[in-house]
Amino acid sequence: MTPLPPLAVAAIAGFILLNAVVGMVTYVTLLERKFAARMQSRIGPYRVGPHGLLQPIADAVKLMLKEDLVPRAADRRIFNLAPVIFLIPCLLIFATIPFAPGLGVADLNIGVLFFLAVSSMEIVGLFMAGWGSNNKYALISAMRAVNQIISYDLPFIFAAMVPVLLTGSMRLSDIAAAQHGLWFIFYPVIGQLAFLAFVIASVAAENRVPFDILEAESELVAGFRVEYSGMKFALIQLGEYAHVLGTSCLTALLFLGAWSGPGPAWLGPVWFLLKAILIFLLLTWVRWSFVRIRVDQILAISWKLLLPLTLLLVIATAAVVVWRP
Amino acid sequence: MRSAGWLGEVSGLSRAIYRAMRITLLNLFRTPVTVNYPDVERAYPDRYRGLLALTYDKDTGEENCIGCRLCEFVCPPAVIKVEMLKAETRNYAKTFTLELYACEFCELCVQVCPTDAIVMTRSFNMPTADRREMLLDKDRLHAIGLEFEPSWATGNLLRDMQAPPKKTKPDVPAAAAAPPGGDA
Amino acid sequence: MSIPRDSLLHPTVGDPSPPRVITELDYAGTERLTMNMGPQHPSAHGVFRAVLTLEGETVVAVDAVLGYLHRCHEKLAETLTYVQYPTIASKTDYVAAMTSELAYVMAAERIGAIDVPKRAQYLRVLVAELQRIASHCLWLGTWCMDMGGALGGGATIFLYCIREREVVLDLFEALVGARLLYGFHQMGGVRYDLPAGWVAQCRAATDLIEARILEYESMLEDNDFFMMRTQGVGVISREVAETVGISGPLLRGSGVAYDIRQAAPYSSYEDFTFSVPSQPAGDCFARYRVRMDEFRQSIRIVRQIVDGLPEGPISSRPGVKSVVQVRIPKGEAYARVEGPRGEVGCYLIADGGPKPYRMKWRGASFSNLAVLPHIIPGHKVADVVAIMGSVDPVFGEVDR
Repeated sequence: MTPLPPLAVAAIAGFILLNAVVGMVTYVTLLERKFAARMQSRIGPYRVGPHGLLQPIADAVKLMLKEDLVPRAADRRIFNLAPVIFLIPCLLIFATIPFAPGLGVADLNIGVLFFLAVSSMEIVGLFMAGWGSNNKYALISAMRAVNQIISYDLPFIFAAMVPVLLTGSMRLSDIAAAQHGLWFIFYPVIGQLAFLAFVIASVAAENRVPFDILEAESELVAGFRVEYSGMKFALIQLGEYAHVLGTSCLTALLFLGAWSGPGPAWLGPVWFLLKAILIFLLLTWVRWSFVRIRVDQILAISWKLLLPLTLLLVIATAAVVVWRP
Repeated sequence: MRSAGWLGEVSGLSRAIYRAMRITLLNLFRTPVTVNYPDVERAYPDRYRGLLALTYDKDTGEENCIGCRLCEFVCPPAVIKVEMLKAETRNYAKTFTLELYACEFCELCVQVCPTDAIVMTRSFNMPTADRREMLLDKDRLHAIGLEFEPSWATGNLLRDMQAPPKKTKPDVPAAAAAPPGGDA
Repeated sequence: MSIPRDSLLHPTVGDPSPPRVITELDYAGTERLTMNMGPQHPSAHGVFRAVLTLEGETVVAVDAVLGYLHRCHEKLAETLTYVQYPTIASKTDYVAAMTSELAYVMAAERIGAIDVPKRAQYLRVLVAELQRIASHCLWLGTWCMDMGGALGGGATIFLYCIREREVVLDLFEALVGARLLYGFHQMGGVRYDLPAGWVAQCRAATDLIEARILEYESMLEDNDFFMMRTQGVGVISREVAETVGISGPLLRGSGVAYDIRQAAPYSSYEDFTFSVPSQPAGDCFARYRVRMDEFRQSIRIVRQIVDGLPEGPISSRPGVKSVVQVRIPKGEAYARVEGPRGEVGCYLIADGGPKPYRMKWRGASFSNLAVLPHIIPGHKVADVVAIMGSVDPVFGEVDR
């Protein structure tokens, strides 16, 4: 049979990936709820379906059936468009991630750069949501979110540069392949520090606790998404969790060796997903252990701790690359 | 105490993070305390104050209630209404209504009952969508008594538990006659 | 404790001197904004409305509006007899129900000169101290939840504290049969004696709680985030503490080591050895430390009681057989107990009948709330929540 035109192949692959990602993201919310519940001596969703397995479906159906409210004084076009603009970059980041050697939608030779650049684009959607709501608190929290995300994107990028430097290429599959011998997290000193800095920066860049000051603006309102309900809220939630999962996948790829693991080669994607879920659980563990940090402390940690640390790490890594045998 | 300086603060921060995360990890491996009601019911203690019920005499099968209305007078929110029915050998309660939706579950009615007629049961299981169903009449109260397990507390048991000790027996000579224990 | 200057985690630094009471504002303000906090808000303390006047983010004035939970308890007491009212006295301070009942019953006993047997007094102390443990569990959980948010570490500590509180409530349920409206106290003693196996359950409970307190402290203390939000915040100076009329951990957190259990012992408290914790600083952290130490002292008292509970009757009067059984002769008395929040007092005027002529509650939280206009102005809005949590009001006894 005639091979399909490459555009069709890409479209089908993208379609499959998108569905898989959305499915994974909804079930990742259930995983988080059950994991958090176990840490709090309780069970979590249990009754909807066996052991709560249908809970995400129930939540999705509920959100779809909810009334769609648009505040009268809100800017309708921006308000309606914001969740979509927020969601698109969060789903797009999955395009460059290779789940196995050769199994990826678009294995760009600037994979890391694409990922980091696109994942920062969610700020646009976030700010549109805050502005379009015509709500003073939403706007303040959106401004703080932009401030926070931009501050933490710098250490995020620099920490991601460490594996890039060690590999010599920005292509994600090259980075994964270069970890066959030694995962980058086990690299003496540089690997662990880079991993820590990357994880902390990613937690902050995703507005997760303990860096979620923007969601608890004066502990009274819910931040930039306060005016959203129904399906739009679902899109924002989807985008947030997709972003978290995507960053977890990237962490697994950059530091934990992606698909390398014992067993046959077709087990590679399974290992990859397991590592990504492990990182996700690590983030959940952090989330449920800490009280919130104040916003000035958040920015201080970024500019005074993480940025100098990651800059030094990049320089040290460059030195190691030049002088290693 | 934390040492001042950048390195000291970072180490203090790391220690705080380690301590907090250790506790949540510890709790991850503890058994959850959730009781999956209604599949599993927790063990209610003996003295549990659940739904109210009227009882029958164990030996004769007759109703214990003599319609004395002591429970009606003692009830703080006044949810009990009793009408006495006089008969030859003993009295009965003609009607006995208890408004369970307003009941405080304070157990005072159980305490004052001279014949252990009204008791509380070890269950609260009476869900309803209509509040009028919680206006219990005598038949329903007896039915609840037969359906659920009664608690330990009955009037006589409670009063015995609270009674001050009996004074020495009057056959001891030269002992002052003990005053009766308070007013009736 | 001085806040280090311009360090990594303390970037906005005020005075380097120890916690100051902020009396003057540096804010060259523009217009002032009036913001309503409550009566329904996520800060889980009950129905409390605070009208805050803000300049920017700093609170300039606070005006508390109370009364949203008023249920006419004092009038209700005039219509209920001495036998009936203790069953609902729990509704005033519903978090510390046993101490509320105790105040009423003690006042009536004082007028009627009714003595209480030793075993009953020990049992009263036992449940009061267990109730203090349960109340402080709830305080810690809700305070951390206010500060940490309902979806983060705050909720975790809240659930842990509630789990421990359930252990104490299970003890009460085994003793009395109920988890809130106990009706445990009556004139002349208590209504219920210990069932079989209760002492062992109580010992297990105190051991468990003692171990868990260590866990909470390790999660919170030495944690820069927590310390930054509580040290130097909401300082009640000693002069303010002694003149405004606060009591309980608020007073002891400002250096005044006054505890009714030792200053004017009631119900055999003089038989037990325990210390009264106090801290000099007067800020939220000091009050936190006072309450955490009170946990341990309460456990100490509970252990002394279960080890040495005397035999004997649990009441000096026979069990209630009729509603007008108890008649208190003419007289008036004021009985005060040390509740978890402070001095809970009941002033009774008896007129010889089965019902009191007048009853007045001195709610600990009501008097404690009077300190808010002295300590809140000058803080940011986020600090208001931390301060309210450390004041720990329960609106059942504020509004009655």
